[in-house]
Amino acid sequence: MIGSAIYLARRSLVNGIKRRVRRLRQPKYLLGFAVGLLYYYYFFLRPRGQTVSAVPGSSAEGVAIIGLATLVALGWLFGSSRSPLVYTPAETHFLFTAPLTRRQVLDFKLLRSQLALCLSSLLSVVLFSGGHFPPTRILRVLGLWLVFAALQMHSGVTALVRQSLEEHGITAVRRRLGAFVLVGAIVATAAFALRGRFDLLQAAFAESTTLGFETLTALLKSGVLGVLTWPLAALVRPALSPDLATFVERLPAALLIVAVHYVWLIRSSIAFEEVAVESAERMAVRIAAWRSGRRPPPLAGPAKRARAPLTRLAATGSPWRAIAWKNLQAEWRGSGVRLPVIIAVGVIGLAWVASLGESRGTGLGMLAVMFLMLGGMTVVFGPYGLRNDLRSDLQLWDLLKSYPVRGAELVAGEALGPVTVLSAIWWMCLAAAFAASLAVDVPGLSVSERVAAMLAGAIAAPGLLAITTLIQNAAVLFFPAWISVGPARAAGVEMIGQRLVTMVGSQVLLVVALIPAVVVGMVAVAAGGLAHITGVWLAVPGAFALAVTLAFEARLAVTWLGRKFERMDPAAEIGG
Amino acid sequence: MIEVRGLTKLYGSLMAVDDLSFAVAPGEVLGLVGPNGAGKTTTLRSLVGIIRPTRGSIRIGGVDLEHDPVEAKRQLAFMPDEPRLFDYLTVEEHLRFTARLYGVRDADERITALLRELDLGEKTGALPDELSRGMKQKLAIACGLLHEPTALLFDEPLTGLDPAGMRRMKHTIVERARQGAAVILSSHLLQLVEEVCTRVLVIHRGRLVAIGTIAEIVASRPDLQGRSLEEIFLALTGT
Repeated sequence: MIGSAIYLARRSLVNGIKRRVRRLRQPKYLLGFAVGLLYYYYFFLRPRGQTVSAVPGSSAEGVAIIGLATLVALGWLFGSSRSPLVYTPAETHFLFTAPLTRRQVLDFKLLRSQLALCLSSLLSVVLFSGGHFPPTRILRVLGLWLVFAALQMHSGVTALVRQSLEEHGITAVRRRLGAFVLVGAIVATAAFALRGRFDLLQAAFAESTTLGFETLTALLKSGVLGVLTWPLAALVRPALSPDLATFVERLPAALLIVAVHYVWLIRSSIAFEEVAVESAERMAVRIAAWRSGRRPPPLAGPAKRARAPLTRLAATGSPWRAIAWKNLQAEWRGSGVRLPVIIAVGVIGLAWVASLGESRGTGLGMLAVMFLMLGGMTVVFGPYGLRNDLRSDLQLWDLLKSYPVRGAELVAGEALGPVTVLSAIWWMCLAAAFAASLAVDVPGLSVSERVAAMLAGAIAAPGLLAITTLIQNAAVLFFPAWISVGPARAAGVEMIGQRLVTMVGSQVLLVVALIPAVVVGMVAVAAGGLAHITGVWLAVPGAFALAVTLAFEARLAVTWLGRKFERMDPAAEIGG
Repeated sequence: MIEVRGLTKLYGSLMAVDDLSFAVAPGEVLGLVGPNGAGKTTTLRSLVGIIRPTRGSIRIGGVDLEHDPVEAKRQLAFMPDEPRLFDYLTVEEHLRFTARLYGVRDADERITALLRELDLGEKTGALPDELSRGMKQKLAIACGLLHEPTALLFDEPLTGLDPAGMRRMKHTIVERARQGAAVILSSHLLQLVEEVCTRVLVIHRGRLVAIGTIAEIVASRPDLQGRSLEEIFLALTGT
């Protein structure tokens, strides 16, 4: 069994490397590979003095324990029922039909996955080594490997428990409620154990971060907390060993934790087999779909229930509006339970922030800044994250091309979905920031001037969002092999490089698009000055001119991209 | 009416379809058969406007697909082997969305009628994930028929269907042809082709090998007399 697993891992690795090397004959992969290598070298491998850590070495254990505890808690609270030990269709076919026991099958899978885990731990250590890799770092690699292995098995168990509850008809809400109660009980126990020591901790952090972390680590090691966190501490200690002797001394406890997880996973193996085969079948369907150029079905097991539509689509009207409406529906329904949870958590958080400070205005001032930051991030990063446009729909390119819709209309409709959502978020943030700012006296910015600034921001942003979104859509139309279409994410150094090249190209295009808009905007500001408009109010005509110019550019881009869409054959281009 | 003249598609140096010409009259069902890699899917995709031919012309209902693709596509319906549906649109929303794209005026009436005809009435608010394979296929058919196309193209229409679904699909194909649509059906299932199609087009390595009724094909090749369609197919394609 061990021999077979090693053989499969070894041959798969070698053949995978050979395939990637062969792929480098194509310029697009070679360029991506070169850029990816440079990126890794410059940011991670280049010697540049000692590594800088925000956490002092003596307190690393406490931080690691808290990090691990958070990961485990999040896994139980929000993890999926999809096991990390997903079998490929070939593995299912060969292993489940072979004369092997369930345990042997699981052993095989666990063994096979160790190579990936080992490489992950090696990369993690190398990437944060600051270009220095003394021999003792090997101990950290080995220690981290143990942590990853235990976490992988823990996720497997979590998924199996979740799957088992699903099969017993326990709803998602009740499953989460159970996890919340369990995690809440542990947190309450920890809080009870820490009672009377919060002041001590606060005072330590107030004096210095180092002392704060040291006090925290000491508290985590003592009393009830010490018992509660022992499994986590035992697991992370080998990775934090300064020398071989300490590592050897700490190793048995960590191995014990890994062994307990192994036994736990084996015990859960009755459900495991069904889950594994089901996952393999789902994956086989997805792979077949990808290979034939079709959209794969989603990986999630249970079917989604349709959330009521945002608006009802009228039976008649222009096609581009219908396409934009479709993408809005996807965003609305695709967010699942996250949206209500985010809104609820956000409201609670904001209420808390608003109540901060000695006077009411302090908290509201912070709130205004937070809303502006959130809005700014939405405008800058939103178009890259929200992909319910051609970046998602190109999976159904054959369906799209069969529609009696002009390419320009289709591109406009596709881009309008995310632009509408992001603009709405930006406007809401802006309005909330303005409302919160009314309770604060901002020096040099009267309420009237704040109105002007809000108007200028509200007018300018949609144009910017439209251009950024269209650039992303242009990238997927012109370089379909370079951009991830749908949920798939290709891996490898060359892919990192390709993403970097695409990102840089997008930024250059954005700057090029902004130059004429900014120039026109400045002319409008100057004209506003001549018309006796003063101060911040000058930003309003400037923003209007900027928005009009960007809208004009967007119109040209839509026409151009529409023609490109009509001419393109993604099957031929992606196939390369 | 579907008219194809000199259809050629090249992928680099690979000739996927080579100078293919044929026509399908209203009420006719043309079976497109050929071994794997013969060029059937490329032909179908060219006919629907999904890919652009390297050379040749395609006319749908007298409208040139190259010069006026929007008007040509308005008369077309393509039924792929796997239903292509959007994850986050319900059954009814798929139909409303399709109606908007095709400019269907009496959409509400047609949607109601189609939902009833295809037994989808109780699933109007369901997302594709909540539907069985057969239901998804029904929805894809409903979307395809909503605008009452005059040209229908089916790619392996029986894939994944149960016996009842197969029967329903065959009925849909024959019924639409009877109502005056020109139909092209691409399939490896020679039994289906024999049962449903009025003529057969055999394609091999991108080239037309034979076209006509089975009797006409046999008449042009006396050595095929008395053979089954499967034997005729194998003899024509040399597989």
